[in-house]
Amino acid sequence: MRNTDRITAVLLLVVSAAFAAGALKYYKWWGHDGPGPAFLPFWLGVVMSCLAALMLFRRTHPTPVSLLPQGGARTRVVVVLGVTAAFIALLKVLGMVVGTALFLVVLVRYLGRHPWWLTIAIALAAAGANWLVFVYWLRVPMPEGMFWTF
Amino acid sequence: MMAVAGVLVGMLIGALPGVGPPSGVALLLPLTFGMEPTSGIIMLAAMYAGTMYGGTITSVLINTPGESASVVTCLDGYQMALQGRAGPALGIAAIGSFIAGTIGVVLLMLVSPLLARWALSFGPPETFALMLLGLTTVTMLAGEDPLKGYISMVLGLMLAMVGFDIISGDARYGFGVPELIDGIDFLPVAIGLFGLGEVLAGAEEKTAQMKISLRLREVLPSLADWAQSKWAIARGTVLGFLVGVLPGAGPTVASFLSYTVEKKVSKTPERFGKGAIEGVAAPESANNAAATAAMVPMLTLGIPGSATTAIMLGGLMMWGLRPGPLLFEKNPQFVWGLIASQYIANVMLLIASTALIPLFVRALRIPYSILMPLIILFCVTGAYSLKNNLFDVGQMLVFGVIGYFMKKLGYSPAALVLALVLGPLAERALRQSLIISDAGLGIFFTRPISAVLMVLALAAVAVPLVKWGRTLFSRT
Repeated sequence: MRNTDRITAVLLLVVSAAFAAGALKYYKWWGHDGPGPAFLPFWLGVVMSCLAALMLFRRTHPTPVSLLPQGGARTRVVVVLGVTAAFIALLKVLGMVVGTALFLVVLVRYLGRHPWWLTIAIALAAAGANWLVFVYWLRVPMPEGMFWTF
Repeated sequence: MMAVAGVLVGMLIGALPGVGPPSGVALLLPLTFGMEPTSGIIMLAAMYAGTMYGGTITSVLINTPGESASVVTCLDGYQMALQGRAGPALGIAAIGSFIAGTIGVVLLMLVSPLLARWALSFGPPETFALMLLGLTTVTMLAGEDPLKGYISMVLGLMLAMVGFDIISGDARYGFGVPELIDGIDFLPVAIGLFGLGEVLAGAEEKTAQMKISLRLREVLPSLADWAQSKWAIARGTVLGFLVGVLPGAGPTVASFLSYTVEKKVSKTPERFGKGAIEGVAAPESANNAAATAAMVPMLTLGIPGSATTAIMLGGLMMWGLRPGPLLFEKNPQFVWGLIASQYIANVMLLIASTALIPLFVRALRIPYSILMPLIILFCVTGAYSLKNNLFDVGQMLVFGVIGYFMKKLGYSPAALVLALVLGPLAERALRQSLIISDAGLGIFFTRPISAVLMVLALAAVAVPLVKWGRTLFSRT
């Protein structure tokens, strides 16, 4: 915890310093009748730097927590995140309906080891319901992909 | 009709483990986009009420509070469930919520117009001071570590700076990305932090299945239960409303306070923590009264009292409604519609919660392995349907990861979202004030209302600092 807090503090310090400096460099500090667009961002950067410095140098620390869990839990978090990212990245190619169904099949099967028929039934039902609510009922145009046109 | 659907969907979402009211409302907000404003708002209000109660169901049955406001309910609610009295616990919570919610709506009707009229005299300095007070108090109460709370808040404000500057029209921090010119929308951020972040945190554990069975008969509390908790409900309602009206305090503080009060006035305080029905009735009434009361500052001043109301506020702004004192003059039909729908939502909640609890309990039996992918799907579609672009979805994913780490490291996503929503408004108020005063900071302290609010806001910052200084002093 001590270390993660320190690393976060250093990161925040760098980001906020860049934030404040960027404000001064690229935007006007003072408009023609009052503070300009750089005014508040600059001060926010300064305040954040102070907070980060406080965290970097303070002595009291709460109970320790590790940043990433170990073993199976870590694998699960990484896989869930990876599959979700892939789903989002492929949405344009696969389209909402096909993409959703595939995403659900992969993730439900991975997490639960349910029988294939159940996994596929859930995926189809959810993809269908999702389409029904958002596209048919609420008229949100979803990505269609290359396999499906409405 | 919309109210009915909203309550049901809200309860269902709220009853899912790991999805509390802020995530519930954030996830459901996109559902209202396709509707006309009035039905959208009614549905939103109903979902708000529904998710609040949904959180109670998980507190009592599986000892997992949906959000901080129902943490206290776990203490005695889960104990009651272990003793086989889950039914009466949920029943008294529903009845208490109904009574508190109804009285809350009546008080909301009486207090809001007065407050709005008073707030009409507010200039930019008062608005800024009020927002500062809202931000600092929410942050102060957000978590165990005030420093991390403030870091989350300032981070939210920094994110709010991205996009067009309202006064000069300059685009800031866009890095040439066209999607960033309009700024960072709060909804993908909220869905990411609350929805996806929670799911990722939940992915760590293989949650055990609960076996629970309930029937309608078992949901109704007995006469003895009722006699035992009627004053607890009354006290909880009054206390809850008073606390809820304060900007920044909200349902969580209300529920903790009322639990403490109940324990103090009880003749048998030793029963608390071991399944005392008053320990469920009082905080549940209080958090519902406070949830209704939190609408008062949100509607009249534009300052939300909790993460959930912050998301509601963002939702209202998407409809082009700017909450604040003028709302009562410009859109009276909307305000009264919202208030009326709150009332209907309360009635619906009572009926739905007593009649359908057994059904909702089944939702808890769906294994997490199926639930989790479905929640992620909801996050993705929700983020997408805001503006129909994938950039928002990517943003949601990034904030999901940030939310996961924030949760693990003890930062406060609620403070971040609140700051993101209030940021642009606060900046405008600040700069207008400084233009009026010719860049003197004195303007915030020479006007009486603004001065009082500023002092309170600064006190909220000073308290944790003083405490921190003291621990440092005692160590050396």
